[in-house]
Amino acid sequence: MNLPAARAQWRALRSAAVIAFLSNVFDAFILFTLVVQPLVIATLGLWILRDSGQDYGIFVVVGSGLTGLWSGLLFISGNSITSERWTGTLEMVSSLPTPLPVIALGKVLANVLQSLTSMIGAYVLASFFFGYPLTVNHPGQFVVSLVLMVGAFVCLGMVMAPLFVTNPDVQRMQNAIEFPVYILAGFLFPIALLPTWLTPLSYLLSPYWAAVALHEASSGDGDLLTMAGAWTAMIVLSVGYLIASRFLFRTLLRKARRDGTLGMQ
Amino acid sequence: MAAIEVEHLRRVYRTTIGILRRRTKEVLAVDDLSFEVSDGELFGLLGPNGAGKTTTVKMLTTLLIPTAGTARVAGLDVVRDADALRGRIGFIFGGERGLYWRLSGYDNLRYFASLYHVDPAVSRTRIPYLLDLVGLQDRGHEKVEGYSRGMKQRLHIARTLLHDPPLLFLDEPTIGLDPVGAREIRQVVRDLQAEKKTILLTTHYMFEADALCQRIAVINHGRAVALDTPQGLKRLVRDLSVIEVELFGVGEEVAERVGAEPYVDSVALESRDQRQLLQVQTARGSEAVQDLLTRLDGVRVGKVTVREPTLEDAYVRLVGGGS
Repeated sequence: MNLPAARAQWRALRSAAVIAFLSNVFDAFILFTLVVQPLVIATLGLWILRDSGQDYGIFVVVGSGLTGLWSGLLFISGNSITSERWTGTLEMVSSLPTPLPVIALGKVLANVLQSLTSMIGAYVLASFFFGYPLTVNHPGQFVVSLVLMVGAFVCLGMVMAPLFVTNPDVQRMQNAIEFPVYILAGFLFPIALLPTWLTPLSYLLSPYWAAVALHEASSGDGDLLTMAGAWTAMIVLSVGYLIASRFLFRTLLRKARRDGTLGMQ
Repeated sequence: MAAIEVEHLRRVYRTTIGILRRRTKEVLAVDDLSFEVSDGELFGLLGPNGAGKTTTVKMLTTLLIPTAGTARVAGLDVVRDADALRGRIGFIFGGERGLYWRLSGYDNLRYFASLYHVDPAVSRTRIPYLLDLVGLQDRGHEKVEGYSRGMKQRLHIARTLLHDPPLLFLDEPTIGLDPVGAREIRQVVRDLQAEKKTILLTTHYMFEADALCQRIAVINHGRAVALDTPQGLKRLVRDLSVIEVELFGVGEEVAERVGAEPYVDSVALESRDQRQLLQVQTARGSEAVQDLLTRLDGVRVGKVTVREPTLEDAYVRLVGGGS
């Protein structure tokens, strides 16, 4: 791809992100997913651990923030595809010079960045309302983990996007995978509590490694090797997700054009 | 080289029905369709609902993959060269869908301009020009949700012209519009034709096809049943007259009864509020009126007129009055 073409694709990606942001910002359901739901989960966690005598605040903040991030990604992206299907814009944008994966990438990026508000909300709740001292022992590692986490969630979103685009029954898929990922990724409690045969599934989810990296950076308990392992896993899985996404977009879009399922069902 | 070449195009939709015993049901939407459109021509696809017009346009604009046959647009194969083709065509589908209602008309155009890879410096001047062209210059910064249907249709036309494509596919652009709105859209289409753009227009409004198109393909049940100029199509019914009979409280069985008469070439029944209008094409002209009224014995009959055939009558004859 030459430079002018790359710049044109970048402008399209940026426009898709802006449109996604503008569409989401006044949507009450999305605000509930990003703000209210993580706060409810954080409140429950902080209340339960209030008298435990240990510094669990940052774990709850990170965990509930991750639930908001995941639910945000799942529901904002899925609902946006459903909405585009119903308004007829999905069919329209899938036959333009900008490839659909570029448009999806812009939207997913905006959705993930918006979903970070869930983490900020949980932080404010724990700090101001419950009085937890939210210390991050390795701020540098925390920031790197946060950046890699955003990348990991975007790449995961890119795997889900072609499935959402080509499956008119998005809602069922969203409901089916929301809570299993909460549990398998160890957002709310360690995966050591789960049956061992489920562990490999957790290892295949980049949000699990994001949770590990953020928890370790916050507590300062883990060594650099553990942290490097979590970061490497996030990067390797994200590359794998992107390859899978490319394959899924190509095959499923062709199937959708063959079956005529891009329009309203 | 023709701007659009369609050869033996065929499209079958497959759906599954049943829960326990799932069966595949096939619907043939386009069946062995062939036609060519020359550079700069305004070509009409005319047919009743479900004839295969929209499916044809969707295949030509890369939205659907044909089941069989080939189609080339601007010299590019619609399946193999889909990516290259998308920047060279513009398309609209009739109705209000396909726009972002929470955004303004201007923001819609700005977004689509970026998706069409229009340079920002160009789109800054082109968007106001297009809003002016379609008469939305004063409402461009209002949200689309507040637009009338006609305004949305005009915004669609502006959207499809953002990248100044030489080839346009307009699928029922005036559907559901009031007469004034439809007339405005037709004027925009005429202006585009004057700019030498190649246009494929689908419609089921005869007068629209007659007024705009240089050639028309009439399709029914996915097949082309005629392809000619509007004048050529009218010649198909040159020897016929049309008897129009106003009836009250009748159903399709009356049309079937009349259609069985030997002097009747074709028949159509159209409901208008409480009345029905029976249109009978016959070579016997006014001589057939008495026989027709005898056949309608027992039915409440209003006004009876005999007139010369129009393009609509040619169309009714071609599609068998089933529209």
